Amino acid sequence: MAGLYRPRRASEWATCAVAVLLILLGLPLLIMGAELALLGGSLYYVVAGAAIIAGGILMLMGSVAGAFLYLLAWLLTWPWALWEVGFDGWGLLPRVLGPTLIAVLVVLTIPVLRRLQKTSLAQRGIA
Amino acid sequence: MPRTDLSAATALCGLVLLSATAGIAPARAQSAYKEAPPGPGDADAPGKKPSDKFAGPSPFAPQAPGVNAANIPDGPPAEPGEATPAVEQISSHPAHDDWPAYGRDTDATRFSPLEQITPRNVGQLTRAFIYHTGSKPAPGQVNKWAAESTPIKVGDGLYMCTAMNDIVKLDPATGKEIWRHEAGVKYASIPYTAACKAVVYYTSSTVSEGEPCHNRILEGTLDMRLIEVDADTGKLCEGFGDHGQVNLMKGMGESVPGFVSMTAPPPIVNGAIVVNHEVLDGQRRWAPSGVIRGYDAETGKFLWAWDVNRPDQHGEPAEGQHYSRGTPNSWATMTGDNALGLVYVPTGNSAADYYSAMRSPEENKVSSAIVALDVKTGSPRWVFQTVHKDVWDYDIGSQPTMIDFPGQDGPVPALVVPTKRGQTFVLDRRDGKPILPVEERPAPVETDVEGDPRSPTQPWSVGMPRLGLPDLKESDMWGMSPIDQLFCRLQFRRAKYEGEFTAPSVDRPWIEYPGYNGGSDWGSMAYDPKTGVLIANWNVTPMYDQLVTRKKADALGLMPIDDPNFKPGGGGAEGNGAMADTPYGIVVSPFWNQYTHMMCNKPPYGMITAIDMHTRKVLWQHPLGSARANGPWGVPTYLPVTIGTPNNGGPVITAGGVVFVGATTDNMLHAFDAKSGKELWNDVLPGGGQATPMTYEYKGKQYVAIMAGGHHFMMTPVSDALVVYTLPDNK
Repeated sequence: MAGLYRPRRASEWATCAVAVLLILLGLPLLIMGAELALLGGSLYYVVAGAAIIAGGILMLMGSVAGAFLYLLAWLLTWPWALWEVGFDGWGLLPRVLGPTLIAVLVVLTIPVLRRLQKTSLAQRGIA
Repeated sequence: MPRTDLSAATALCGLVLLSATAGIAPARAQSAYKEAPPGPGDADAPGKKPSDKFAGPSPFAPQAPGVNAANIPDGPPAEPGEATPAVEQISSHPAHDDWPAYGRDTDATRFSPLEQITPRNVGQLTRAFIYHTGSKPAPGQVNKWAAESTPIKVGDGLYMCTAMNDIVKLDPATGKEIWRHEAGVKYASIPYTAACKAVVYYTSSTVSEGEPCHNRILEGTLDMRLIEVDADTGKLCEGFGDHGQVNLMKGMGESVPGFVSMTAPPPIVNGAIVVNHEVLDGQRRWAPSGVIRGYDAETGKFLWAWDVNRPDQHGEPAEGQHYSRGTPNSWATMTGDNALGLVYVPTGNSAADYYSAMRSPEENKVSSAIVALDVKTGSPRWVFQTVHKDVWDYDIGSQPTMIDFPGQDGPVPALVVPTKRGQTFVLDRRDGKPILPVEERPAPVETDVEGDPRSPTQPWSVGMPRLGLPDLKESDMWGMSPIDQLFCRLQFRRAKYEGEFTAPSVDRPWIEYPGYNGGSDWGSMAYDPKTGVLIANWNVTPMYDQLVTRKKADALGLMPIDDPNFKPGGGGAEGNGAMADTPYGIVVSPFWNQYTHMMCNKPPYGMITAIDMHTRKVLWQHPLGSARANGPWGVPTYLPVTIGTPNNGGPVITAGGVVFVGATTDNMLHAFDAKSGKELWNDVLPGGGQATPMTYEYKGKQYVAIMAGGHHFMMTPVSDALVVYTLPDNK
């Protein structure tokens, strides 16, 4: 399943868009996060950035593992956020609100990616 | 006090450094270091061959037309004198219904004995009237407005000044204008801000009742005049100064309009008007003097001067001389103490706020301090310093409040001093000694600003609750999403930050926190002498600063206000500054995300606190101001969520048990229960409520007034509306 899949249906285009979004959001996290880590700051951002970009690339390749990678990063963000700020609402807002909204989008891509993966396997089976 | 022992050594080091570096000063004349104020024969003096490069004007240059806005001939320099004996002023014992002074009374308590409005009925407040002052930016003018005005009320009149210094008398029940004195202040005379905090009510000792100018209204103007008008008619008092006006530019030396100005009401203490003035920050080391002067309230005659670097000369400077340049200025409202014959002067920094190597030992002793001056002579009786060798613009902006401190052996005459640091000092008014303990704590000294060592210790008022939050951490950085939050975390890590007294740096930015708008800026506090409750609203607004080399400052276009190429907004008090005559310029901005215009630290940005002065315990404390008018990219969120916004303007406390405060950037006037701190009522104003409200009673009805003038720096909408509330008749 090397290479990117070719979206055909609207749902596939949408999945593709979510994957691109992940990469676009992951890049600043990775780049600025790397500088932050070098300056002795939090390691979260560079790690999260890398995971999100990897997730996005995998999703572009039609792999459901990409979506699960994002969701894993999102899931681990919660204990990290609570460790940093506790149950302070204002503190949690930047850390979990955006990632959670995107997690919803990513969850919606799972059935699409599953179907893509099946098709691709089936095609390979025929070939 | 071992507070200023470093100053002499510092000045010496500074001079050595300056002479060493003078050779490598950049070519532009404006950039040249000037280790001492230019002398009469200075190379830069006008009259020399004109050059295409700007040269700093000599302080000996005659004042250009318009600088003396009153067009009053100077006359010979005056010798020190004594004030005409005064009668007792009504502000010493205000009538129950009145609010006769900026801080309501001589003590500046901002406490009113009125009790018609209570926590039970405050929710019914409705607008009695709105009065439009007429003072706001004309089309095409850069908005430099922030009226900050608090009306005073005496008898049948509500008296106030407009942002541009017109004086008006209003009917307290209807807001009808009874008279107006037009001051004729020009736009060019606006310094950082067109503000006029209040007028002063004065009863004459020589003019008998019923005669014109028995009762007078006094104000200081943006263009440096004292004006006295008759309280009944608004006509100038002929017997005061030159046909009602005094020119305060006399003896100041070279200046340009807007460089020095008065925005605070001058107190009258035992017959002496005590005059301070703002000197625009960040312009040049040898800016006009911060001299404090006394004038006779009856005649306007000069009485004395307190000039930091001419401590033994209390008269006006000799012909062709001027008050010493660059000395600490005082722009806050001063507090007068008739009983002790003192005026408490809250001081700021020497000119060039962020670089201290060129300050004299005398300046280092009195900057960012309370200086108690004898109103008979102008000599300091005591000094209490709140920051040693201040390079953070932690000047004192608030008016100190006089209280009877509940001591073990009875009441002690005390002065409560709010500061931008959020440290509240409580001093004995007789000798300036702290009543509550003050600790000298180690402060960071590491700096790359050569020849400008920092003070190894700084004073902390450990006996009072701190009006501040703990030092910033990386995890305090905030945003809407992980990305903008990360941006702020990165900004935090890129900067130097070692707590409140992080020394300035050139090689990278440093974080200034609580910041020059932190703690209590100019709002001051309110104190209920009956219950001993002190109310303070305060800010949590870090700044992001960096010293820049002269070359870079030139490249950034930073120039002082007296540069012919200076444009308004090209470097003002609260932003980037040229700091000409020094090796560095200063770049200052709020510590925010410049793309979203959201602060980098998490909320709250503003708080309100009630302190019981008997126990010094916090009775209640919570964030002040909602998110409704603020949001990313300046877009209002309309969220009625109390987030705690930056706030400018003080509180009022009433015997009815209600605390009123505007100040916040949600453009609302708020009412709180003085006991519990619960917000009982609020109302959206037509402009930002960056002013201290006041309350009065007239014909049996209690009113609450606030100037909703907005504030350009706080980015709240400008308006010219004075909004006055009262209870409905069927209460």
